[in-house]
Amino acid sequence: MPTCPSGHDSASTDFCDVCGMRMDGAAAAPAPAGAPAAGIPAPPAVPAEPCPQCGAGRTGQFCEVCGFDFASGQVPHPAAAGDAAPGGTDAAAGAGSDQAAAVPDRAASVPDQAAAVPGQAAAPGADGAAAPAAGWAVVVTADRAYYDSVIAQGGPDAASIEFPQYCPERRFQLNGREMRIGRRSVSRGLEPEIDLTGPPADPGVSHMHAVLIAEPDGTWGVLDPGSANGTTVNGGEIVAGVRVPLHDGDRIGVGAWTVLTIQAPPAS
Amino acid sequence: MSSDFTVEISQNEYLAVGGDDVNAIVTVTSPDTGLAAPAGDQGSAEIIIIDCSGSMGSPRTKIEQARAATAAAVDVIRDGVAFAVIAGTNNAQPIFPLDYGLAIADDQTRFLAKQAVAGVLPRGGTAIGQWLRLAHSMFLSHPAALRHAILLTDGQNQHETPQQLGEAISLCEGVFSCDCRGVGTDWEVGELRRISSALLGTVDIVPDPSGLAADFAAMMQTAMGKQVAGVSLRVWTPQHAAVRFVKQVAPAVEDLTGRGVPSGPQAADYPTGAWGASESRDYHVRVRVTPAGVGQEMLAARVSLVAATPSGPEVLGQGLVRATWTDDEALSTRINGSVAHYTGQAELAQVIQEGLEARKRGDEDTATAKLGRAVALAEQSGNEATAKLLARVVDVVDAASGTVRLKKRVDDADEMALDTRSTKTVRTKR
Repeated sequence: MPTCPSGHDSASTDFCDVCGMRMDGAAAAPAPAGAPAAGIPAPPAVPAEPCPQCGAGRTGQFCEVCGFDFASGQVPHPAAAGDAAPGGTDAAAGAGSDQAAAVPDRAASVPDQAAAVPGQAAAPGADGAAAPAAGWAVVVTADRAYYDSVIAQGGPDAASIEFPQYCPERRFQLNGREMRIGRRSVSRGLEPEIDLTGPPADPGVSHMHAVLIAEPDGTWGVLDPGSANGTTVNGGEIVAGVRVPLHDGDRIGVGAWTVLTIQAPPAS
Repeated sequence: MSSDFTVEISQNEYLAVGGDDVNAIVTVTSPDTGLAAPAGDQGSAEIIIIDCSGSMGSPRTKIEQARAATAAAVDVIRDGVAFAVIAGTNNAQPIFPLDYGLAIADDQTRFLAKQAVAGVLPRGGTAIGQWLRLAHSMFLSHPAALRHAILLTDGQNQHETPQQLGEAISLCEGVFSCDCRGVGTDWEVGELRRISSALLGTVDIVPDPSGLAADFAAMMQTAMGKQVAGVSLRVWTPQHAAVRFVKQVAPAVEDLTGRGVPSGPQAADYPTGAWGASESRDYHVRVRVTPAGVGQEMLAARVSLVAATPSGPEVLGQGLVRATWTDDEALSTRINGSVAHYTGQAELAQVIQEGLEARKRGDEDTATAKLGRAVALAEQSGNEATAKLLARVVDVVDAASGTVRLKKRVDDADEMALDTRSTKTVRTKR
């Protein structure tokens, strides 16, 4: 099924059935940035992520074959960081994610690595092979549009909160039964699994802001236990205490500018 | 069934940064040739409901003209169409056929029906809810797809409560459509509008009973032209968007917002009733969306025309309402002519109704202001029919600025005509 730029499955091919965004971008969305850079015809948009070191299909944080660390930020992820791959990968630039600005240069060495492994592009059909073992992940970014919408709503401190000049993208694998979103607090003995302490620190994020909860069917939901400033999913405020199911590409907004984008494992 | 309906969208898709308000005019036009397989004559049912309360006997011409009008309408019913005539008083009784069912139209049944109608006498009171209930049960005795009624009254609904009428209307909603006519000036515009609006029909005043026959024949002619029943406007909106309103704006203003029935994820169906060939209607759809970034394009609404068929809903056509965010103010501030035109037409209907209401209350300042505004809107939009009706209620000093004086003496019929026809719009000049 086609997927929109926000990652929703959509039976319609013109505009996404869920969020209404234009689907053209999705059709043109590149596979991992390495392929075009290597001069190999880009495979159709396949959410595969072979190991840049050895080309083996990814199954978890570390490559099962050579031990390459996928999570250390050296590899742009196809769904999020891939859009923001550095200058060498022009083909990725058109992907049109507004997260691009937030992603640092750390992937600079990747295209070369990828180019050294033509085998990866030759296996575009192996789409299921790229699923991380734990499956689901969240990518945390500072999101300008979300920030604008929060500030537009006003609120007592709206005027004093600034959008961060620089915010590294952070990625968390979802595992276990719960992943708490918040800021660690030594005094309260709180160490959330998804720790948004920063820097930069988002002043609108509660110490215990929200929880991602594993559903019996393998998907994840989000629950806001009653944070000070609330939580949004795809722009809509969720009701405190009510678990909201999550889908690939859903965007959880917390605080003043923090957006967590959900990444489901690629369908196999 | 044909899928040759066209759905055209007129809008300014450009929104300023942070803009969330999307407006579009949706023009739906049915094909001019027969809609492939019309429901078939067995597929249509017609019931004529005539007020036979005591007041219809004074003056005597009222009941005489009502009989003549009913006969004229019966003559227009095509062979094979199921039909009946009901006499409405403080209860309701079939005039023809007498078995509480429907007769199938042919030369003989039409003759018998006219003969029965010629014998009805005015007696008793008015309980319109009872009339609708009888029509409802008679319609259900026959499996027709296209069900339509004509309701004629000359008085107010005195012998039941507004709540009883409301319950009867809800019962009939979606079962049949109903065109309402008030003869003379003793009936209540609001009451008939309530019925015609819920039952997707028209409402009008026939001030002079002698005009009834032509009007009835025309209404029945239109009804006979209907070929597709149960057509809805399906409006899909993206996640976290909200439909602010869905209004029919041509040929008349009819707010459908509260009538939407959820029909799938993020979609609702708004009833439009039955369609004949070469019909064209305009709808104003207004959606609130979640703003996206500059340069991004979003589908704010997918508007499709959907017909209910035995095998499930069939999409007859669709149009796309878009939103594109831009920092170019020349684009985002451009006003779409159709949207502006119909926004004005809807306001025109509203200020007329408010102005007449104020006038009844004796609040002349408000009445003068509202009706003055109406005169200006009618002038700007070229709605000459409404302008003429307004000129019978107010003296126009300057139409462009809406400067008016209330007339000291206004004919009741003129005031009611202005009220009932206030929702009639003129189409936008494209």
